[in-house]
Amino acid sequence: MAEEIKVDLELNLKGLLCPLPMVRVSQNIKNVPVGGIIKATATDPGSLADIPSWAKSTGNEILKSERIGPEIIFYIKRIK
Amino acid sequence: MTVDKQTEEKLIALLKQKINRQLLYYLDICARCAICRDACHQYVATKDVHYLPAYRAELIRRIYKKYFTRTGRIIPSLYEGKEITDDLLDELYKVTYACTGCRRCMFYCPFSIDTTWVLSVAKTILIAAGKGSPILTELADAAIEKGKNIDLFKGIMLDILKDTERKLQEKVGDPKATIPVEKEDSNLLYVALSGEHTILPAAIIFHQAKENWTLSLFEASNYGYFLGDTAKAKTIAQRIVDEAKRLKVKEVVVTECGHAHRVFKFFYESWAKEKYPFQVSSILEIIHRYLKEGRINLNSKYIKEPVTYHDPCQIGRNYGVFAEPRDIISQVSADFREMNPQREKNWCCGAGGGVVAQPDLDEFRIKTGELKVKQIRQTGAKIVVSPCENCRLQIETLNEKYNLGIRISSIMDLVAYSLLIPREQS
Repeated sequence: MAEEIKVDLELNLKGLLCPLPMVRVSQNIKNVPVGGIIKATATDPGSLADIPSWAKSTGNEILKSERIGPEIIFYIKRIK
Repeated sequence: MTVDKQTEEKLIALLKQKINRQLLYYLDICARCAICRDACHQYVATKDVHYLPAYRAELIRRIYKKYFTRTGRIIPSLYEGKEITDDLLDELYKVTYACTGCRRCMFYCPFSIDTTWVLSVAKTILIAAGKGSPILTELADAAIEKGKNIDLFKGIMLDILKDTERKLQEKVGDPKATIPVEKEDSNLLYVALSGEHTILPAAIIFHQAKENWTLSLFEASNYGYFLGDTAKAKTIAQRIVDEAKRLKVKEVVVTECGHAHRVFKFFYESWAKEKYPFQVSSILEIIHRYLKEGRINLNSKYIKEPVTYHDPCQIGRNYGVFAEPRDIISQVSADFREMNPQREKNWCCGAGGGVVAQPDLDEFRIKTGELKVKQIRQTGAKIVVSPCENCRLQIETLNEKYNLGIRISSIMDLVAYSLLIPREQS
């Protein structure tokens, strides 16, 4: 069984359109400690490319992303 | 607190580069008549002098006077010269990144002072001082990163598009309907926004018009432009220009996104110092063209509820497209009602210029959307149509916060839906 990820903050981004999923993640990454993890659930398919691009350009890390029906779930680790 | 000498010198040198006849004219000619006071939705809603267009430009004027005029240098207090300090830069940030760039002040100004243009100089100074908007910087950098790693994201995007393509096939009843990507020699390269909502309705319209088109791998929005960083804005737009050249398309069609269309139509060629080998159009112009050519036919007056139209500043006042959207809406709506004022005098929704993407301005944009709320209420409309994503996001927020009880639609959605309804059901 896959190791469970310990989540520090959950974000509901369902229904939000670009750029708001990225904006909300950016806004909330400061609310977890360095090394902390955000679980963000979006429904905008564009976020599948947008949030990883944001993570790459800001130096944070996407630990995992998965699609469950219309929901796209990201586990984002704060690196700095 | 005064900024350090090195930063001060850098900022002065930068301002010196920006001084041209246009800027000098704007700085010199303002008569402080305050007509712009009643033209700016932000000042009208807040009565805060920081949002008075003349005051916003005044901050740049004061820096100019201090460093570039003899009187301002010798007796700055008497001649309104202001030294560059952290406080001044913070004030400049406040007035600059809150501006939606609607240019309603310019429309009413007797001297046509383009405050948004003056603020583009302010943005250049702020960025050089390390005080550009952090969130707009992040969004611009993310778009650039996506461009650099397009091969990494292409698979994900094509996978998402398969879902959208299935929906298209179901909706148009054609199992062979496709959403083509990277198709060479297409007539049109359609540039959508991130997500499905601007792809599916366009795909329905293109399918019905039997258009030879292809979808861009990149999103139209350009946060480098909102940030005021020309280099980043150019890099973001260049991804699409390069794609259009590679695919040898005849026309680049920008989705319902006011600023993105303006970037391609008015700015990119001067930034890149090159001429496009293709034409640039807004999707509104394409839909209107299809209707005129009889390539699509809308179900007449199928919407019975009252409909109103919000002119996005970048498409209306700043580009001049007023007739086409009204013509399209009037074909499908039995009860079209104009807002008052409208067209070039329309009030800004309150969220353009990147304001919608800045969380620290959330409360501010709700407050400064009051005039839009009043306008919508006065029409009694149940559906508000607007061909700009920023405007729609803002009107959605206003709908929720002010209990307007309306639905918000794009022009593309109205048209696509009309095309799908069998005539006997309309």
